[in-house]
Amino acid sequence: MLKLEEVKLKYGYVEALKGISLEIKGGTITCLLGANGAGKSTTLRAISGLNHAYDGKILFNDEEIQDKSPDNIVKRRIIHCPEGRKLFPGLSVHENLMAGAYVMKDKNRIKENLEEVYQMFPILADRRRQSAGTLSGGEQQMLAVGRALMADPELLMLDEPSLGLAPIIFEQIFDTLIELKKQGKTIFLVEQNANAALHISDYAYIIEVGSITLEGNANELLKDDRVKEKYLGG
Amino acid sequence: MQQLIFGLRDGSLFALVALGLVIIHNTTGVLNFAYGHMGMFAAYITFSCYAFFGFPLVLAILTGLVFAVIIGILTEKFLLRPIRHLSHSAMLIITLGMLMTLEGFALLIWKQDTRQLPNLITGRPLIINIQDTMLVITRQDLLIFVLTAVIVFGTFFYLKYTKLGLAVRASSQSEEAAKLMGIPVGGVYGFAWGFGTALSALAAILAAPKTYVHPNMMVNLQIQGLTAAVLGGFDSLPGAIVGGLLLGVIEQFVGEYISAELKMAFALIIIICLLMIKPSGILGKSSKGRV
Repeated sequence: MLKLEEVKLKYGYVEALKGISLEIKGGTITCLLGANGAGKSTTLRAISGLNHAYDGKILFNDEEIQDKSPDNIVKRRIIHCPEGRKLFPGLSVHENLMAGAYVMKDKNRIKENLEEVYQMFPILADRRRQSAGTLSGGEQQMLAVGRALMADPELLMLDEPSLGLAPIIFEQIFDTLIELKKQGKTIFLVEQNANAALHISDYAYIIEVGSITLEGNANELLKDDRVKEKYLGG
Repeated sequence: MQQLIFGLRDGSLFALVALGLVIIHNTTGVLNFAYGHMGMFAAYITFSCYAFFGFPLVLAILTGLVFAVIIGILTEKFLLRPIRHLSHSAMLIITLGMLMTLEGFALLIWKQDTRQLPNLITGRPLIINIQDTMLVITRQDLLIFVLTAVIVFGTFFYLKYTKLGLAVRASSQSEEAAKLMGIPVGGVYGFAWGFGTALSALAAILAAPKTYVHPNMMVNLQIQGLTAAVLGGFDSLPGAIVGGLLLGVIEQFVGEYISAELKMAFALIIIICLLMIKPSGILGKSSKGRV
């Protein structure tokens, strides 16, 4: 579904991605693991068009998309749920969700999606009129995921959804991801919490200072000594 | 009472100016120094269409407003967007440059002379008798009230209940998140600049019968609009309106009871005092994100 071929990206003079190649197959959960500053978020930013690669190709369903603008990428149903959630704090929960449906033309579909999101996260329905800035961290993450789902993503990219959340809450978020996969969505998950991410993923890549250093089936990587030592705490 | 009406009339104009300033600032994060002068230029266009080319007044005004929208959009697209990633001050400097350029061009084209635009509507003023006091409201003043009210409520309604309105509010809160929703943020900025500049033009045209049309006609209104915006809390649209009306009334009363020459200075002093008590303005919240 999505393929990166030798993608290179610079911030100023700093080379953040030194030629990343990876592939995400339709209907799977693929995760990208790595330490802070390894280039995980940058990889997502390159795909969603927030930053542009200066070299390499990004293919979505065999079409080159590395030079497209963010709104063009969103129209292709590649939805990026950013690190730190990036909600619209002054808008209500409902308005945040409607902003997520900005590219949707079909009003009935928007309504259905809205109902689905409220069903998935009932707490959001209770707080639909509250402004997003007043929600707790867990609720905000639910809203961020819900907002991303409003646009009917074909590929959903999540940047560290577990960040700063209590285990019980991020388990709930991860359960939602498994549920979404069952519905046929493709998910690209970026995480520091390698253990949790590997448990729900099919395939995994590990990135270190801008390069992919290891890849494999998630259940195999869980047993891999190098991964254990570096990312699973020995 | 009569003073109150004059105050509210002036305040309506301040509110219009403030509304446009705040819309541009909230959406794009830029304080537009050239804002008043862009309106001034549009007033000159209106004047030229009316006096030189013999357009009917209403058509001349529409031409002026359309011109304002275009100049607003072009400024954003070609002068500000290319340097958006550089720094906030770079954009401020650009608007300062615009201010001087527009003033220069206005002097070059229309010379120093003051020109006049007629009242939009004339006729017998409205006279209301309340017991012993008689209130006089001219038709032009009435028009200013009505237009301001229509625009203010129209804007609120539009921002609150339409899809583009949601896009504007979303972009003003987080540019990056708005992009990730597929909102064409550039288009939203263009809209804010076009609409905001049109408000400045409208204020200039409405004020023109009193201030006359000349290159510095909007200098005071720009300061008053800015003051109104600060008074109202700067990030709040209702605040801009309340601030505008309040400033109008304060100035009028200062002018009447203290000193006509010093009314602006006194009004500013009062506002400084108000802001010392409540620094975030009347309806402002403490800062949320925007620089």
